[in-house]
Amino acid sequence: MSWIQILTYLCGAIFIVAFATKLLKYATMPMHVRWELYPIPHEGKHKSYGGSFYEEIDHWKNERHKDHLAQYMFMLPEILFIKALYEDNRSLWYWSFPFHMGLYLSIAGLAFLAIGAILQIMGLPSSTALGSLAQSLTILLGVVGYVLGTIGVVGLVIKRMSDPELSEFSAPIDYMNLIWLGAIFVTGFLVWLKDPGFGISRDYLVSIITFSPMKDQLTGMHYLNLLLFLSFFAYFPFTHMTHMVSKYFMWDKVKWDDNPNIGDPGVDAKIKTYLGYPVTWSAAHIGAQGGKKSWADVATENPWAKKE
Amino acid sequence: MKPEEISKSAEQLVDLNPAKFATLPPPYENYKESPLVQLSDDQKTRWEHSLDGVSALTLPKPQTPEEEEQLVASFLLGLEKLLTKENNWTFLQPLALSLEYCAKCQTCAEACPVFEASGRQDIYRPTFRADVLRKVAKKYLSPGGKFLAGFRGHDIELTWDLVARLAELAYRCTLCRRCASVCPVGVDNGLINHELRKLFSQELGIAATEIHEKGSVKHLKFGSSTGMTTAAIGDIIEYLEDDIEEKIGRRITIPLNKKGAEILLVHNAGEFMSWPENPMSFAILFDAAGIDYTISTELAGYDGVNYGLWYDDVQFARVAIKHLEIARELGVKKIVIGECGHAHKALSVIADRLLPGEQMIPRESSYTLLWDIVKSGKIKFDPSKNDFPVTLHDPCNIVRLMGIVKPQREILKAITPPGRFREMTPHGVANYCCGGGSGFAIMSSGNFTDWKIKLSGRKKLQQMLGAFQGEMDPEIKKMVCAPCSNCKGQIRDLMQNYEVFEKTGIWYTGLVEMMVNAMVDQDAPFVEWPSDEEDDDM
Repeated sequence: MSWIQILTYLCGAIFIVAFATKLLKYATMPMHVRWELYPIPHEGKHKSYGGSFYEEIDHWKNERHKDHLAQYMFMLPEILFIKALYEDNRSLWYWSFPFHMGLYLSIAGLAFLAIGAILQIMGLPSSTALGSLAQSLTILLGVVGYVLGTIGVVGLVIKRMSDPELSEFSAPIDYMNLIWLGAIFVTGFLVWLKDPGFGISRDYLVSIITFSPMKDQLTGMHYLNLLLFLSFFAYFPFTHMTHMVSKYFMWDKVKWDDNPNIGDPGVDAKIKTYLGYPVTWSAAHIGAQGGKKSWADVATENPWAKKE
Repeated sequence: MKPEEISKSAEQLVDLNPAKFATLPPPYENYKESPLVQLSDDQKTRWEHSLDGVSALTLPKPQTPEEEEQLVASFLLGLEKLLTKENNWTFLQPLALSLEYCAKCQTCAEACPVFEASGRQDIYRPTFRADVLRKVAKKYLSPGGKFLAGFRGHDIELTWDLVARLAELAYRCTLCRRCASVCPVGVDNGLINHELRKLFSQELGIAATEIHEKGSVKHLKFGSSTGMTTAAIGDIIEYLEDDIEEKIGRRITIPLNKKGAEILLVHNAGEFMSWPENPMSFAILFDAAGIDYTISTELAGYDGVNYGLWYDDVQFARVAIKHLEIARELGVKKIVIGECGHAHKALSVIADRLLPGEQMIPRESSYTLLWDIVKSGKIKFDPSKNDFPVTLHDPCNIVRLMGIVKPQREILKAITPPGRFREMTPHGVANYCCGGGSGFAIMSSGNFTDWKIKLSGRKKLQQMLGAFQGEMDPEIKKMVCAPCSNCKGQIRDLMQNYEVFEKTGIWYTGLVEMMVNAMVDQDAPFVEWPSDEEDDDM
């Protein structure tokens, strides 16, 4: 097994462990108090102006209906086209959109490269109809993705450097991240020029999937692109670029979490646990006594009540 | 200005120049804004003011370097506690996400009324204070935080200057959460500001006097943040009954502590003091509609406010639990919240996960109940009695943060003649804060009053004037319906400062007052205009 194969497995393992750890960290945090923000798409089309169940008399007596389709219809243009940025920060969207679309298409291209590799293992190489389709889609999505991604990166770097409102809040690492991604897009494009059918790349993936030696020798450009990609892959979960995590949790679990507390046993159990947590806040009015008191204790005390 | 500059040694980080403040629509297009009121030399010696020359907290300056060090250490300890589930289970998840994921795109800044009104002062960007906290957390609390801190963008010096300025900066945001509503990655910089206030209060005991000592402490000590005692509320209710009799020619009894009533009605007690016609209107409407309700005279039961919402989870919980206990003891079926935005959100939304479900009592907005009354036809309204141009202010807490948008509009359409009601731009969930949110309406320490009128309320003033363009003749009386007690306080201050009624004929009132004004059974006009008082004096 070559060093590049070992590195691939290593970077893949780091990505999986680090990303899963991050997801787990947020998923296992306590249920917070409600902090929703309207409009909430699952309230449905008839409340698309931002209305909620609070507009209904005796709302707790009504059966709650969440319009999940409306929520997906909201999420789709948001994920694909970054609709919120289009509406509220158009000048940044002009570059952010091609950048993100470039990423999506490149990842889709990589997925079809993997499908092509699996087909090849199954005895359906690119000379077959199915293998040829996977190859064509790999080339189309990958190359368009590289071009769009590169345009986006160049635009975002220039925008971030030239707009004082952005540059004041940007650090060298922000530029490094963008340039790193840009280098992956550019070298990916150059790989395509050297390897127009991505045949060498596919053989490399076959070797990774089957844990076997590579058939073809990778070119220098393949190595460069792989090194940039693999190192970024391992680095990515440690950065704020994983903002798809915040997008999921902050929207689905915070801004859209309007579930009222109606005595669900699971929710009740959680609240009882939290009320038992020790409090160590130091301000005198809290009266926490350095953790001797719990949330239930401090919340039910009234330090200013007249003593009977 | 970079967030790191908050640590720099300077008498004052930013000078606010009124010439750069956002302009106002006619008839204020040539209005020359006066400079902000300056603190006296003596006040400057005693109070921290090095952020923008404003002191909202009248925070005493530490007397020794040791005291400064101690306060800085406490701040860091508080930040550490803020990031633990034991001390902050209430908001840990959204806080941790918001601290980690800002993409620094500045989309939120364009949505912030204070940033815009100030002439785009960097320190008022929603990202500025949030970024300061992010950088401190990364550098001082994360493993290896000091390694390549400059390259990674969080090389910030944690000094007393930073802490003192951040304390003041926590009181330059109204927590309206417009910023959060536009963030493309879901980050909530408004929440970070909320958490920052909690850190200062819960760990260092630093909070605005009006919302802590004169607010939640008075509420828990005397029964109301107004200082109105449990002994006094009965008398005040009696005065209201007298006033009602005088106004409508018949006496109505306001039920007190009625066990087993359908509804516990809770007002913002500020209404009793500043706008008694508001609780009077509720009494008239509920009586006419045959609503079975009661008002409590128990400690905290007659004041629906909960200032803890803005700065302290423990104070918040103490008041919310009192409200729920009182409702349970009375055996009511639901609590109905009067015209108070933050009381709505506090009791309906935030308190919802404070106690297990079996201890909760259903809570309902008065807007919803009032719309139900209008729809029921139990009260006859004559829209022609409200024959003047009307616009509606959307309280953030009720609209953007609770999704109650339609009932108040439907009521206004039902009680005003066609064409008289017009929306502000923007409105509904995209509305702008009145500028008095998060406690600003009641805060007046140092020179803060001037700041909140000229800056945090500026956008709302623009909107109110904008709604009536083309009808600016002061002879044409126009009304802003502001169904929230704190919003009314801020709007009253704005109108006084800019002499809005005198120059434009625009005045303000609540929703229920306009409803009573339109009642067929109501002979004399119920809504009062400042010019009525002048006429009476003559």
